[in-house]
Amino acid sequence: MGKLPSTVLRRPSLAGCLLTTSPNLSLTHPPSPTAVPLPHHAATTAAGHHQVRHATFVLRHRRPYQFTQLVQLSDGSTFTVRTTSPLALYKSARDSRNHLLWQPSETSLRNVEVDEAGKLAAFRERFGKGWDLESPAAGAQPEEAAAAAEAPSKEGEKAGSQKKGDAKIEAKQAEAPTQEAAAQEDPFDSLVDLISSYSTEDKNIKGGLSAKDQAKKDKGGKKK
Amino acid sequence: MASLRGLSRPARNLPLSQLARQTYTAVPVRCASSQAAEVAAPVLNELEDSTLTAPQLSEEEKKQFRPWKRAKDRKFGLPSGRYQYHPPKYNRGPLHPVQSPPASDPIARDFVPGPFNLPRLKQTYHSTIAPDLMTLAYQHVLPGTPKKETADRLRGWDGSSPYHKNRALRGPRGGPVLPLIERDITFNNIPLLKEISIASYVPDAIKDPNHLLVARSVLLALTGTTPEITKTKANVVQWGIRIGDRAGVKTTVYGNAAYEFLDRCVHLVFPRIKDWMGIAATTGDSNGNLSFGLTPEEVRLFPEVEANAWLYPAKMLPGCRVFIKTSATSDRQARLLLQAFGVPFYGKVRN
Repeated sequence: MGKLPSTVLRRPSLAGCLLTTSPNLSLTHPPSPTAVPLPHHAATTAAGHHQVRHATFVLRHRRPYQFTQLVQLSDGSTFTVRTTSPLALYKSARDSRNHLLWQPSETSLRNVEVDEAGKLAAFRERFGKGWDLESPAAGAQPEEAAAAAEAPSKEGEKAGSQKKGDAKIEAKQAEAPTQEAAAQEDPFDSLVDLISSYSTEDKNIKGGLSAKDQAKKDKGGKKK
Repeated sequence: MASLRGLSRPARNLPLSQLARQTYTAVPVRCASSQAAEVAAPVLNELEDSTLTAPQLSEEEKKQFRPWKRAKDRKFGLPSGRYQYHPPKYNRGPLHPVQSPPASDPIARDFVPGPFNLPRLKQTYHSTIAPDLMTLAYQHVLPGTPKKETADRLRGWDGSSPYHKNRALRGPRGGPVLPLIERDITFNNIPLLKEISIASYVPDAIKDPNHLLVARSVLLALTGTTPEITKTKANVVQWGIRIGDRAGVKTTVYGNAAYEFLDRCVHLVFPRIKDWMGIAATTGDSNGNLSFGLTPEEVRLFPEVEANAWLYPAKMLPGCRVFIKTSATSDRQARLLLQAFGVPFYGKVRN
């Protein structure tokens, strides 16, 4: 409900008071001839000199249309909102449920490598890694490295940098004897494996036909 | 039940008059109330005329009663619309005979329907955040401890002149503004979100007023309210602005809409900003009102703008400044509230 105008000023008795307090006003500004004469003398003078709001406009609010929209966050939770967007359902791919800033304990979000299409993973699967070649020792190595990396983060950020270095050295020292032992067992095999992995005929790498040749081959096969 | 239905089905096919006659003859009127009425009949007859006691219409009279015929023969139709009450356009004071209905009445001119949903941020605030804030900020004071009195911040007069008597106290040195004194968070003073103002300054609109239109529609989409146009306050020749130029839009949302806007910002927009660290912790007017800015690229991330992004010319899309007003009396309390809402802050804290 809008403001109601006060009736105080419109009371004839008060208008008389106003007249007494400012008599020269009425003298300097006589009521204009065009003004409609009112029965009450005091009312005419008051209306002539003071702006009186007899009526307050009741505003119809301007309300742009709003829809009720169902929002689905990336973790599947849903809630309704009132929005100007006409879509009935809004599915968000990126929101606070899968953002590291809001989910600092989520380890899967810590992955620095952006591999949305899985291309890097495919590459690794196809060509392997350097440390994949030596199977037994190499299997343990990444785990140890991960453990070493985790240790300083648990201990705290302050002494992180210094202790990280220490941890790395320790990890290297721990790895060294295992590698030596592996080398002593069969010093040749690891190298042989290394060579053989390169020498084996990989269909994907070698002997591939160009698209043109492949097409020719296919055509020949069909004719025969 | 099925048998009852089966019985009633053939009965339905009978003409109405037959059915009525049957029921009339078959059902004996034997109710306690009617019997009591019969006993008291001589008394009641003096009091009122019942239409039930009127004689039944004869067949002739029934045939004569044809309202459809009368409607058909009527030369001038009845007024098409029913009588509708329209509330007065103007309030003419509490003593006027014509009064407008209260705003809660659906027929009132200033009626606003709703609320249509309970914003989840508001729900979270009332169920979780408010009690948590109160508990976490609790400081035990032993009963009987004298209250700490704040020093008078207004300066008095030294009384060197006789005119100093009864003179009003002076404000602080350096400016007339008195910052708020922080009030402790207690059960009756838990900071809450009051309103959110969104302003967009578009100086390009001086040359091309279409910018104003785009900014206006963007703010409308964001808030669901009609923005108002602001005017330039200063003359700066180098920037080509003059006092009174229409070069900006602003709007304010309160209550549920404010909660929903903040919710949308925090959970849908901020995470999608590239390399976003948070809101600068130095923000705030030291009275519990925090603010942040959004670039045009960030405004584009809002679901409402995104839904019909083609509608807005890419180069005309404005950035905006968002002012979050809370009932907190200091910035740190306001930051506490917003952090509970899920707004991350970064950098140095000023106050």
